[in-house]
Amino acid sequence: MDLKLAIFRPMLKLAMERNGHGAALGFELTKIGRGEVEMTFPYKEEVVGNPITGVVHGGVIVSLLDTACGTAAITTLTRASVTPTMDLRLDYMHPAEPHQPIYVSAKVYRSTSNVIFCRGSAWQDDPENPIAHCVATFMTVDTPSISLGNIIRRRLNRLVRGDRAYEREADK
Amino acid sequence: MSDPHQALQASLQRARHESSPQQILDLIPYSSFIGAEAKVEGDGVLYWLDRRPSNIGNPSLPAIHGGVIGGFLELSAAIEILYTLNVELIPKVVDFSLDYLRPGRYKTIYANCTVLRQGKKLVNVTATAWQDNPDTPIATARCHFLISK
Repeated sequence: MDLKLAIFRPMLKLAMERNGHGAALGFELTKIGRGEVEMTFPYKEEVVGNPITGVVHGGVIVSLLDTACGTAAITTLTRASVTPTMDLRLDYMHPAEPHQPIYVSAKVYRSTSNVIFCRGSAWQDDPENPIAHCVATFMTVDTPSISLGNIIRRRLNRLVRGDRAYEREADK
Repeated sequence: MSDPHQALQASLQRARHESSPQQILDLIPYSSFIGAEAKVEGDGVLYWLDRRPSNIGNPSLPAIHGGVIGGFLELSAAIEILYTLNVELIPKVVDFSLDYLRPGRYKTIYANCTVLRQGKKLVNVTATAWQDNPDTPIATARCHFLISK
């Protein structure tokens, strides 16, 4: 039993599912293991990219794979760090079927002290017949300031001020 | 019954005729979901994305979601093809490669695109995104689109 991950799992789920873009798209993290993440995206009419076929826009797949790979990268960290994406490369093998959920899995295949290498895949019916796959690399930037106290303080601020809190923080 | 393909072609022709890339963006639901906008500026098209809470990725900074920056650039590249080339189908993205150069802070992102090659089947487009200054881009992307059936 991985105690550290057991503590971080609900925090990661909260961060990815209840905030900003992940919440707007309705992402659900169905599995968070060390270096391994699985996610689901339910179909949404609002994010259609081709109005004739009803296929979701590629940008949704980018967001899904970036989130899944980024979360997988975070689970391999051993120090207080953030992991910005360095680059992301996607191959679209075939269009997604409209009105059906998309499943995503991501796996870290190498984690060094400075760079984390990750692979991801998105599919609908058959994991062997993916819609898209990707490789992504993440940088590890040590940030001892991301303490639990700071996170709680910002959350309280947002509860009180709602969305305007983001603007106040950005304008500082 | 009106044919959706004919309706699309009519809309594309009107947008080109009226020099309004925004009309093409308005055809794609994803663009209003993220809030992408476009206008003709100088010789090219300027795309931009105003800040909104549903585009935030890391709430503790706050920063724009990397997927939104990617989606915005992919969308801009497709609009660039539809607006500047004589293409009558929504281009299908084949591959997409994105380098993140700087964090996307919680403010407006601008982008412009360049078509590097147009073949019979494939088009290669690059897109660059910036916030304060075009000389300090926050991300660059290159993508291939399929433009034949």
